[in-house]
Amino acid sequence: MALLQIVEPGQSAAPHQHRLAVGIDLGTTHSLVASVRSGTAQVLPDEAGRALLPSVVHYKGEGEVDVGWTARDDAAKDPHNTIVSVKRFMGRGIADIADVANLPYQFIEAPGMVKLKTVAGDLSPVEVSAEILKVLRERAELSLGGELSGAVITVPAYFDDAQRQATKDAARLAGLTVLRLLNEPTAAAIAYGLDNASEGIYCVYDLGGGTFDFSVLRLTRGVFEVLATSGDSALGGDDFDRAIFDWLLTQHKLPKLSPEDMRHLLTVVRLAKEQLTDVAVTEIRCSLSDNTTINAILSREVFVELTKPLLAKTFSPVRRALRDADLHVEDVQGVVLVGGATRMPHLHLAVTEFFFREPLTNLDPDKVVALGAAIQANALAGNAGGDELLLLDVIPLSLGIETMGGLSEKIIPRNSTIPSARAQDFTTFKDGQTAMSFHVVQGERELVSECRSLARFDMRGIPPMVAGAARIRVTFQVDADGLLSVSAREQTSGVESSITVKPSYGLTDGEIAQMLTAGISSAEHDKHMRALREAQVDARRLLDATEAAMAEDGHELLSKAEWSDIWEKIYELAEVILLGDANSLETLRKNTEALNAATATFASRRMDASIRKALSGRQIESVDL
Amino acid sequence: MNTLSGTNYFEMFGLAPRFTIDLNSLEQSFRKLQIELHPDRHASHSETEQRMALQLSTTVNDGYRTLRNPASRAQCLITLAGKDESTAVLSPTFLMAQMEWREAIAEAKASSDIVALEALAKRLKHKVNVQEQDLAAALDERSDFDAAGMRVNELRFYEKLRVEIDDALDALDN
Repeated sequence: MALLQIVEPGQSAAPHQHRLAVGIDLGTTHSLVASVRSGTAQVLPDEAGRALLPSVVHYKGEGEVDVGWTARDDAAKDPHNTIVSVKRFMGRGIADIADVANLPYQFIEAPGMVKLKTVAGDLSPVEVSAEILKVLRERAELSLGGELSGAVITVPAYFDDAQRQATKDAARLAGLTVLRLLNEPTAAAIAYGLDNASEGIYCVYDLGGGTFDFSVLRLTRGVFEVLATSGDSALGGDDFDRAIFDWLLTQHKLPKLSPEDMRHLLTVVRLAKEQLTDVAVTEIRCSLSDNTTINAILSREVFVELTKPLLAKTFSPVRRALRDADLHVEDVQGVVLVGGATRMPHLHLAVTEFFFREPLTNLDPDKVVALGAAIQANALAGNAGGDELLLLDVIPLSLGIETMGGLSEKIIPRNSTIPSARAQDFTTFKDGQTAMSFHVVQGERELVSECRSLARFDMRGIPPMVAGAARIRVTFQVDADGLLSVSAREQTSGVESSITVKPSYGLTDGEIAQMLTAGISSAEHDKHMRALREAQVDARRLLDATEAAMAEDGHELLSKAEWSDIWEKIYELAEVILLGDANSLETLRKNTEALNAATATFASRRMDASIRKALSGRQIESVDL
Repeated sequence: MNTLSGTNYFEMFGLAPRFTIDLNSLEQSFRKLQIELHPDRHASHSETEQRMALQLSTTVNDGYRTLRNPASRAQCLITLAGKDESTAVLSPTFLMAQMEWREAIAEAKASSDIVALEALAKRLKHKVNVQEQDLAAALDERSDFDAAGMRVNELRFYEKLRVEIDDALDALDN
């Protein structure tokens, strides 16, 4: 960490130090990290020059964890402890995972999300994903030569709230500051849009290892507006491998394979699939542990036939997104292909035939998401060149609340632009009722039982009234990460009882803290040091933000007294950070709070200035926001 | 939390409070506002500013959605005029027609007739267009808010039909 620089009062701040920010594509089969360097987004390779990191985590015992290529090679040797495609389990219960019986893992049903039994203990998919993120963070810090100030992590656009929350938790666990969760197709669009300076309606067809996303966007001078998104969070390139695998089993009348053999054969099958991209016929050869040998010839024709239903399955979300955006195929100016699976020639052909045009493939479909995320990270970190870009994304699935009869009342419909807030009033059912239960769900189906349950909460302390007299306003707020918070408040009596819920699949701060310190003996001390470090990072961020704001328009928007007051608080806080006393946690928090309070008016004047700027040339007095 | 009622949305987007609006200038104002107010634009600013950006950006999104949709735009004007839509009662003829629509959709769905569903969608679109012309006349020319309230209620029915048709198409697709 560089020494903190303090600007003399009256001097304008030095030009902003370039903040190290990265984009991370946390994929089902592969993950990547990219960053903007000298104005261009680049994927950061490992020491061997490889851009991709297989999303495979091998727990070897005695605290040893292996992530990436060697882990992938070891998958067949130690399948129970080598977690492949962990993304499929993020924010999921056992019932949600389609092929539990065919997977070599021992799942444990835990509240909210499954756990996996490994030699390293019972692990949450969040912890496994954090191992992948840690490796990418270290790679980036080594490559960029410093500590990261933040990261943009991509998620499938069709991920629900539980899956998004799990991803964010994994990043926190890996020691990353999450600048934003970004939808993968939107990230791809950024990478393409900035390259081609495109305008008009563009579609992104993103078939990853385990997920399918389709997004329709309107591009207008640096503004990327998602009009509709759809997909299937359990359909990906892995399923195409599985189709070949199943075909082989039937062809050779094989019994159920051991986990080792299964993993081995799946690897062979994946290579065969990849070969069929370039050649018309390939040979599959694999010897199993009982010395039987599988020998088969697979032609592209057979592969096409085998995977026809899978490919067809991707086009219903395509049609739905176009319908939701109220657009037709003819309105589309370009289609971008993303994800390694889109290299399959028959997929390319199917997309071409559907849209009557050749899809865009000039960027590497494996890298494009990470590149887009890096561009967004650079912009969010406040680095130069980021102010040309704005993303307006949507939520993929409707958010609702359970009403009488187990029906879902939709509060925020799918494809609403985020951030978004909507409120709905509810009332009591019985005379004198003082409590009410709410059940928050996500999904399109009418029956709550067919939607994903996100959270349940009770509201208590409603003053006794006759049935139907209370007015409880439930407000849903979805932030720019696509994450939901819900609050409820009784309106009529003036009595306020308001709560905010976090979806039940999300981890509490306590659980994360526990995971962070798990396995470390001096947990108490560590907890304290971590809290101190987090407080220091927060304080530094506030100092940075305040200094930049002061330099930008402190003189314009502040009186002399206000201006010196803020500077005084800046100095006080900076001093505590500089001294770095191990016992300074309380002072640090107090001084951070003081600076926050001192800048509240300044912040609101700055927002007013932003509004004025947006409305320049128009009457401002009448605007009441 | 900002007010979520639709009152000042026309001013927010620099539009005259009329039903007939220029969608292009609505879109342009929307982008202009979000370029300044979206949380991404304030990600490196103080927490207070980020919180304000979240609220303002949310309000802008709500306003944009309200004005882009003809029924909610009309409702916004009716509310501005101090009237309430709920007094408008739908005519029996309209309700009969609704039932016929529903039956036609159910029938097409039952016989997996995509062509019929698409034809219904087209017919519905035409209905909606006529309805919007009526709304423009009632609100912009006659200031007849009672008639407009009625049209809004009807339009909401059409929107529900549209969702039903889309869901049916979606179900047949899977």
